Amino acid sequence: MGPLIPNGIIAGNWDFVIALLIGIAFGFILESSGFSSSRNIVGVFYGYNFVVLRVFFTAVIVAMVGLIYFNHFGLLDLKHIFILPTYVGPMILGGVMMGVGFIMGGFCPGTSFTAIAIGKLDAVAYLAGIYLGIGAFQLTYPAFAKFFTSGFLGNVTLTDVTGIPAQWFALVFTIVALVAFWAVRFVERRIRKKITEYKF
Amino acid sequence: MNKNYVFLTVLMFVLALGTLFFRETDKPEETAPEQLLWDIIRPNRYVTTDQVAKRIIQGDPSLEIVDVRNKDEYSRFSLPGAINIPLDSLLNKNNLLYFGVPGIDVVFIANDDIASDQAWVLTKRLGFNGTYVLKGGLNRWMETIIDPKEPSEEEPATAWAVYDFRRGAMMYFTGAKTGNVESSKVVVPIKRRKKTNVVAGGC
Repeated sequence: MGPLIPNGIIAGNWDFVIALLIGIAFGFILESSGFSSSRNIVGVFYGYNFVVLRVFFTAVIVAMVGLIYFNHFGLLDLKHIFILPTYVGPMILGGVMMGVGFIMGGFCPGTSFTAIAIGKLDAVAYLAGIYLGIGAFQLTYPAFAKFFTSGFLGNVTLTDVTGIPAQWFALVFTIVALVAFWAVRFVERRIRKKITEYKF
Repeated sequence: MNKNYVFLTVLMFVLALGTLFFRETDKPEETAPEQLLWDIIRPNRYVTTDQVAKRIIQGDPSLEIVDVRNKDEYSRFSLPGAINIPLDSLLNKNNLLYFGVPGIDVVFIANDDIASDQAWVLTKRLGFNGTYVLKGGLNRWMETIIDPKEPSEEEPATAWAVYDFRRGAMMYFTGAKTGNVESSKVVVPIKRRKKTNVVAGGC
């Protein structure tokens, strides 16, 4: 059946409407999970609050296992799903930069928008920084262009690269996530004991 | 310890374990022979030289022209914007990236339409849609676009409209001046392609 738009079940013009609806739902869930609070978000790095890890890992493993079931039962054809192209070196560097920015700023790009929605001033500064950074990158792009496109592997998945079926990755990742859920409870409990004052 | 968490953890683990029992149908889906035959019989894979000329003139970004002749022939002349994928290297992994891109129409060209037809069958067999064949190939292109024949007086107005377009296209492609014909003014309507927005991920 799916994906709905490429298979012509929904007309292509609906994509913006669908994007809007999903965006609203995404923002709502980010906000209601407490992601608009930068203290909440960086808690995962200091070890006193692992809500980020719980929410995102839950979303990832449910979506991952769910997609495999959908594919198996013919509800969604995974061959027609867009896969981001892989650039090994630039992606590692980008990931590191993202992580550093995450700890320093206390937001991921998506959560900074939800934080603005509830009126946080630090998020406004963060967003201004995002756009300045984007502009600066655009202007200096020729200097990075060579590195930016290096290590291109195509639109590949781990299964394409290693030949191991996707189910095994799903299982291993699920186990890692589930173990992490329980393990971080103990970390949280221990560190929160030392914190005398803690509020979101 | 919350009972719900234990239950959800076990449920998730069992679901993930369950995926291992799926039999992987790993082979790429091939077009069934009946379907392929049906597609081959139908002439709707052909595009005319006029259609291609029009789209080149309009600068249509959804048009991808693939020249399947060999390198020498390609370097001698080809259509503007055409990329060269010789028929024998069609199945290279990098070359296959050109096909099956949503919103992009691939048009195969060669001197006639035999080699392009073969390329078309191969891509069809691999399951790619959106590939077309230039009917008559570059020979037809020369006859119709580069050296259009003037229709005789008693032919219908449509023939003259086609001729007018071809004269305009000839000027576009060759830069040659044509005689002072009043009707040789070609109005090329600018048609913007609808944006195909590729979904990029993000946080």
